[in-house]
Amino acid sequence: MNRAAIIGTGQTRHARRRDDLSQPELVREACTAALADAGIGQKDIDAVVIANMELFEGRALPELWVGEGAFATGKPCMKIATGGTSGTSGCIAGFHQVASGLFDIVLVVGFEKHSEGHTQTGMALTDPFWDRTVASGALGNFALSISQYMVDRGVTEEQAAKVAVKARRNAARNPYAHLQMPDITEQEVLDSKMLAHPVRMLDMCPQSDGACAIVIAAESKAKKYCDQPAWIRATATRHQQPYIGDIDHRLTSMETLRSAARSVYAAAGIRDPLKELDVAEIYEPVSYAELAWYEALGFCEDGEAGRLIEDGVTEMDGELPVNPSGGVLSTNPVGASGVIRVAEAASQIMGRAGEHQVQGAKTALATGYGVYAWADAMILGTAP
Amino acid sequence: MSETVTVTIEMEQAWRYASGTAMERFSEGLKERRIEAVSCRLCGRAYLPPRPYCGKCNIRMSSWTPVKDEGELVAWTVMQLPMLDGRTGEMREAPYGMGLILLDGADTTLNHYLAESDPAKLAIGQRVRAVWCNERRGAMDDILHFEVIR
Repeated sequence: MNRAAIIGTGQTRHARRRDDLSQPELVREACTAALADAGIGQKDIDAVVIANMELFEGRALPELWVGEGAFATGKPCMKIATGGTSGTSGCIAGFHQVASGLFDIVLVVGFEKHSEGHTQTGMALTDPFWDRTVASGALGNFALSISQYMVDRGVTEEQAAKVAVKARRNAARNPYAHLQMPDITEQEVLDSKMLAHPVRMLDMCPQSDGACAIVIAAESKAKKYCDQPAWIRATATRHQQPYIGDIDHRLTSMETLRSAARSVYAAAGIRDPLKELDVAEIYEPVSYAELAWYEALGFCEDGEAGRLIEDGVTEMDGELPVNPSGGVLSTNPVGASGVIRVAEAASQIMGRAGEHQVQGAKTALATGYGVYAWADAMILGTAP
Repeated sequence: MSETVTVTIEMEQAWRYASGTAMERFSEGLKERRIEAVSCRLCGRAYLPPRPYCGKCNIRMSSWTPVKDEGELVAWTVMQLPMLDGRTGEMREAPYGMGLILLDGADTTLNHYLAESDPAKLAIGQRVRAVWCNERRGAMDDILHFEVIR
């Protein structure tokens, strides 16, 4: 396997509606920013990967319609569509292409324009025989699993509210983030509208329009174009059995994320992630999920996630800042969200994260989460 | 900033799906208020919905296990937002209860509606039973919802 690194990232401003841009224009905005950040031109791109959940926009073949926006004409181009993991899996696919030695530079771009379609319809198109009748979207499915997780681990609404506040306060230092709520309080979260017990409005991610792109380069090109590339040290992807009822205590066990994390930690020689990681960008569509992911990712022992957030361990000034960007809780264009996790982790390694930079970050984790339990994990570092 | 051009599309579209032999037998059973899981001869797990393969052992499954139409509530929520019914295209008005139910005899849980929509009256570990429709067509909504056995 050849070495590969991220040498540039770019994202759009994310918002509830980006009516000012069509889908190809939105994608072009992110791709142009990524090429500029990498210091390369469109001719340098050997292949393109597009991540998008086309059911949400109701427009088939996004790789066709936005391909031009992604500089893909006349080049190898493929699409990844795996729910919430689309973006991280797209980045991992791009990494595979470079690591295989077949391509020197791959552009990965994820996008979603939730405002143009009907996300609930896309989410409802599940198995027609079994659960389409009772489809309740990401919200209902999460709420069910959270009811178990709270009992299993003794997690409280107040602890979840602290996660929701941390995300939005971090987002206030990220000019690209969708939700800008710098003065949000825990009481506001606890007073926000109940959506599905125990999940409240401010516990959930928004639906965003936005795109994000990264440039992955082989070692020789990475060293040529970038003073401090973000080296991809390990990646892992895990899928699960198809139905929510197949997975016992989904959030509590989260076997896929546990397995993916163990795999990348072993490959990168990480024994104590809380101490050895400098920053993490994790895919947390709901506040309670971040707590469950702390345990699955080994940031603490099982049952200790509530204490971790109460002690401020994952705040910007804590031992392991989690989601300095504001995370999915502040910005969620689904097909782009996984790419944003990787791009934000890479920016931290490259020292280009601006006001939300974690000083001296040398090792970063990015994760993806999709459908009922799919998971991706990636370790980035200042050295290969 | 460009103005938004809106393209409105309304359509009625029917889909046909082949059920496969496992789901065919299960659907026929529902008409007679009979629930059956298919179980794996290697790991012994009894699956709902019935399906051709055990994803853990990667073998074809063909043995059937009877499952009761009552069991334990292992997860619950009360939806406070109207949600789309993906089968009819209609919105289901809130509030309504939902649960993951471990039916007696099954090893996987069933996601279904609950008759109870008061969060104060729902708890993990409660016993629940299916309320069947009088007219049954061999689909999951032959069960109207599950009620808590008090």
